[in-house]
Amino acid sequence: MPVKWVLHWQPNAGTMVNSQILSEVSQCAESINGVKDGRWKTTLTFYRPNLRDPSLPAEFPRDFMGISLLEQPNKYYFIIRGQKIILEADSSILTIMEKLQSYKSKVALNFEGVLYKLGDFQLKIGKVAPSTSESLRGIMMEVEYLPISSVEKSRQVMEEFLNIWREAVAKKSLPGQFMHMEPNYAEYGLLDNYTSQHTAVQYATALAQLIATVQQPPGQPMRN
Amino acid sequence: MECVVQGIIETQHVEALEILLQGLCGVHKERLRIHEICLKSGPNLGPVASEVRLLCDLEQAEPSWTVRHIGGAMRGAGAEQISVLIRTMVESKASKNVLRMFYALGYKLDHELLRVGFAFHFNRGAQITVTVSSVNKMLKLHATDEAVPVTPGIQLVEVTAPATSENYTEIVSAMSSFCEYLAPLLHLSKPGISTGVVPTAAAAAASLMSDGGGTTL
Repeated sequence: MPVKWVLHWQPNAGTMVNSQILSEVSQCAESINGVKDGRWKTTLTFYRPNLRDPSLPAEFPRDFMGISLLEQPNKYYFIIRGQKIILEADSSILTIMEKLQSYKSKVALNFEGVLYKLGDFQLKIGKVAPSTSESLRGIMMEVEYLPISSVEKSRQVMEEFLNIWREAVAKKSLPGQFMHMEPNYAEYGLLDNYTSQHTAVQYATALAQLIATVQQPPGQPMRN
Repeated sequence: MECVVQGIIETQHVEALEILLQGLCGVHKERLRIHEICLKSGPNLGPVASEVRLLCDLEQAEPSWTVRHIGGAMRGAGAEQISVLIRTMVESKASKNVLRMFYALGYKLDHELLRVGFAFHFNRGAQITVTVSSVNKMLKLHATDEAVPVTPGIQLVEVTAPATSENYTEIVSAMSSFCEYLAPLLHLSKPGISTGVVPTAAAAAASLMSDGGGTTL
């Protein structure tokens, strides 16, 4: 599948993300001839262990996340960042986890927004908000280059695109910038050929960065 | 949900059972080689202890993994009267690091098995699967190449069919009538209720081997 980069908006020190920035960024996509082509949504859920006796010391992963991607509606992805584990499973795994009752959902975040087409590129720009409220906690962006599925081979064209993109955003003098933190895919056992598992790992990484930069983290602080 | 019955057969009669199944189902058998890993939740994890099975299909060129959760059986007077067990069962295919993930989540290895045999999948009023397999245990951790039979000379036969709360009575009746065809060779009952091998098996097997067009005794 085509390579994607997932980026998060990093506000300048002392500033906060707001919906005005999201609207300006969306205008940037249109200013470089991006054409709206529908909406997108990704949901990320943090899970915590369901302990019989919470007072007992326990060694369980604190960074256990699940991700559902609109592009793979029948799949679900689990990530344990601390141990570099990414699992792809049928979405029925959620029913199994419910029946096991060993972990329960702590907080869910929705990433949703507008998809733009720009020739061989696709841009998804949207907000990050807790599933229980509409409050904006961050801005995320996905850049997809349709002709290439190799992470390495696409690197140059992705960087060139981002330079153009950053120039467009710089004209708006917004208090922050989009950052791309590429995970070490090999640590997760992922190869150069891009898959949805790469996307799930990128979301987990970008979210960790986003949580580290916002003042009121929606989830627990994460190890980087 | 799934409907399930089990039985046992002596290995010497398995070939006759295969001929009978081939004739009844009209489909070709599939070879079966499944490494089954049973995991249990560690102490303090979950309000009650939980169990999950990871099945690794070793027949595939690239082994594929399935997570299976078997829930409680249907109970009550009605459920007791029927000869088929109805239970909740959920499966999910998963990528190969699924064992590593469950270990990381605090699950521990309870036991592991290797099932070797064959299966028939066909539709006969229900989507029925019949598996005939020898159940093997590993002497060393995950050493599937050195597995030895748990019950030498005896194989396990399992008949299952997916069902829903709306259609399970029809599925039970389709399964029961199918199982009657196998009665001369083996008796099928709810899992956990062992009825042993049937006395007519040897005669029925001999008859099948001579009539079935396969090898003769």
